[in-house]
Amino acid sequence: MTDSALAMNPAQVAATSAVAPKLTVRDLHFYYNGFHALKGINMDIPEKKVTSIIGPSGCGKSTLLRIFNRIYAIYPKLEARGEVTLDGENVLDPGYSMNRLRGKVGMVFQKPVPFPMTIFENVAYGIRHHEKLSKADMTIRVEQALRSAALWDEVKDKLKQNALGLSGGQQQRLCIARAIALKPEVLLLDEPTSALDPIATSRIEQLVEELKSQFTIVIVTHNMQQAARCSDLTAFMYMGELIEFDGTEKIFTKPGKKQTEDYITGRFG
Amino acid sequence: MPATDTVASSIDVLERRSRRDARDERLFRWLLKGCALLVLAALLGAAGATLWGGRSAFSTFGWHFLVSTAWDPGNDVYGALVPVYGTVATSLIALLIAVPVSFGIALYLSEVAPAWLRTPVASAIELLAGIPSIIYGMWGLFIFAPFFANHIKPWLTNNLGDQPDDGKLSWVAQHVPFVGKLFGSSYPFGASILVAGIVLAIMIIPFISSVMREVFQTVPTRLKESAYALGSSTWEVSWDIVLPYTRSAVIGGIFLGLGRALGETMAVTFVLGNAMTLSASLLDPGTSIASTIANQFSEASGLQKSSLMALAFLLFVVTFFVLLIARLMLRQLAKKEGS
Amino acid sequence: MSAIYLRRRITNWLAMGLSMLATLIGLAFLAWILWETLRQGIGALNLKLFTRITANGADGGLANAMVGSLIINFIGIAIATPIGVLAGTWLAEYANRTKLGETIRFLNDILLSAPSIVMGLFVYTIIVLPSTALTHGSTTFSGFAGGVALALIALPVIVRTTDEMLRLVPSTLREAALSLGVPQWKLTLQILIRAARSGIITGVLLALARISGETAPLLFTAFGNNYMAVNPIDKMSSLPQIIYQYANDPGDDLHAMAWAGAFVVTMFVLLLSLASRLVLSRTKVSHD
Repeated sequence: MTDSALAMNPAQVAATSAVAPKLTVRDLHFYYNGFHALKGINMDIPEKKVTSIIGPSGCGKSTLLRIFNRIYAIYPKLEARGEVTLDGENVLDPGYSMNRLRGKVGMVFQKPVPFPMTIFENVAYGIRHHEKLSKADMTIRVEQALRSAALWDEVKDKLKQNALGLSGGQQQRLCIARAIALKPEVLLLDEPTSALDPIATSRIEQLVEELKSQFTIVIVTHNMQQAARCSDLTAFMYMGELIEFDGTEKIFTKPGKKQTEDYITGRFG
Repeated sequence: MPATDTVASSIDVLERRSRRDARDERLFRWLLKGCALLVLAALLGAAGATLWGGRSAFSTFGWHFLVSTAWDPGNDVYGALVPVYGTVATSLIALLIAVPVSFGIALYLSEVAPAWLRTPVASAIELLAGIPSIIYGMWGLFIFAPFFANHIKPWLTNNLGDQPDDGKLSWVAQHVPFVGKLFGSSYPFGASILVAGIVLAIMIIPFISSVMREVFQTVPTRLKESAYALGSSTWEVSWDIVLPYTRSAVIGGIFLGLGRALGETMAVTFVLGNAMTLSASLLDPGTSIASTIANQFSEASGLQKSSLMALAFLLFVVTFFVLLIARLMLRQLAKKEGS
Repeated sequence: MSAIYLRRRITNWLAMGLSMLATLIGLAFLAWILWETLRQGIGALNLKLFTRITANGADGGLANAMVGSLIINFIGIAIATPIGVLAGTWLAEYANRTKLGETIRFLNDILLSAPSIVMGLFVYTIIVLPSTALTHGSTTFSGFAGGVALALIALPVIVRTTDEMLRLVPSTLREAALSLGVPQWKLTLQILIRAARSGIITGVLLALARISGETAPLLFTAFGNNYMAVNPIDKMSSLPQIIYQYANDPGDDLHAMAWAGAFVVTMFVLLLSLASRLVLSRTKVSHD
């Protein structure tokens, strides 16, 4: 409890107040089957920055991410209490329409999950549910998304082929294209490179850097180097609590907490 | 920055779409649930329809229906005992043969056979499960029953039965109780309770053996390895480790086979001989519930038809409970696996 | 010491030998049954079987029975497939781990092995009797009633495979689609069923194989017809029913035709189960 309050230290406020917060988390608790998985999280995630969340496995970092677009709600017996606001509106409010939320907050998962359809259809599928576009407009939109995801040059000649034929790295970039095709404001990446080889990983990291100008990106990663390389802010979580949240450089060079330092220096986790 | 009224109208569009989604979702759920409930309706309906069809037989004969051996369309008197006996006897004979053979096959395929042989042999055995039951029936009628009558039956009647051709009772027939009665017969053809049981056994072997093989494969390797590490032989591991570990599922598989055997029509109808009389001998013809219905239903009317429906109800209820036990037993292993 | 070892080794050899013997017995009967079906069936095959109808008796063919079988099986599969796929989807996607869902999944497994002759009597009661009463006896037994009876037998096969195949679809696929705002019903119909498609097709093929050889449920529903019938409200003959009728007849000529019919049915069923295996083995490749 005290930890999370202390997490809002002046340095962190200084780091985040430069830009208006896009997402704010207030006193967020999460329970599943009676287990208290998140204990009073508070954080402000700034717009058009890359925020990474690190911590040992089971610390609740993925859980936190999955609350931001309410994807957790598809499973029974899960309960989130507290507030997550997007541009000032509480997305946990049942009145906040799912269509609106999922249109504004896109998500990419650990393992690449292309839909069992063509590459083109994979990107177009989500758009169709939100907008009615003419065939020509759709083609343009799909191309834009694939270009933004740095995949266009590799797939432009095989848009009609099944997406399952792409390599793992390509599949993951297709999933990113699929998410950004909806023109979301926030992009959640849940350990997006954990199933990929080093070359594919560095392409995704490069892509994150490029996408930052358009989207607010939150990335959960188990890879500290990745957080250090591609994020502006880093949050460290441990046992369901937010221990420290600050500029990435500060976290990795002068962490304010002993636990953070221990984790960064590899003494546990 | 878009004007405020377009923001408002886009939110309005979103709202409408959300409402439409919610309605579609509800309709879809109800459609799916309705289809699933049809499974329930099929079971209840089958029980209900046969009970309703058999109501006049039940009300006319009462409990007596179950224990009466009469089946006399001339006097309009019917009882279930002869077909019930035939059903139970053929199914038990089938189990007696099929269980050890299936166990042997499952053991061979999961513990003994070289790896390259397992899949082809298992597929071949499963092929046997796919053959329509009427083919078993035909094979039984035209091939196996004559073969049995010529080569096996004489030996059985002469060496075990109480009605040998030369009139000289064998030692077994004289000294072992019941055996003489069970194998004594003066009926000249092959069709009989025993042959029907054998044909049923061949039919359910693939079912039982594939269930057993599947459950044997669920035994954790570490368990078997630790027994082998103590110097146990393949047989000892199978009998002392694999079988106790999978016992409930093995029994479930056996009951599954029993359920199949009880309700089978075509494999037995051809080889039972269709005699509506009760005989102690396994070599005499008999009948079963399913074959009585198959043979008589189209020409029956009135009380006879109702009695056939009543028989069907009995068959349905009994197989339901046998299969219920089978599934419950099989589920225990699934639970163990899940934990 | 060595006496114990010897006894244990002999027991082991015996047991291993018996298990091999059991397998050989199983395979021998399979070979015997298939061999007789092939030998007797191929011996009786001729062109007349496919061109003439059963009304001509020993000089006729099985054309009406083959057409009838195709129509009745088609009706059965056409009814059972949509219902079975939707019911299986409900079990896997909407009712997994709920009490009603578990109960229906359990009862479906029982329906899978329920006596088919009772299903025939059930359909006789709900379709043949009412249609007889409503039409004053002009429509009694019908190919449609036969199709419904077969649908009841195909249904649990399709429900079960759909349920199992959908539960194999990784939940990440659901999350990915839901995170795009796609409603669950669209996700289910457009993505999950497509992802499980080959598995579901396998189930339908297995169900077709299962009903193609069914005889008992047709005796009191489709009944039989010695003439060519293509209208589903007419009495209709089918291969298994003709095999049953001809095998019970004393005439040797008819026995030969029954074998020919048995051969056709067996080949059809074996090809179907082979096809379903092929489809399924292809699935495993595409499901990473």
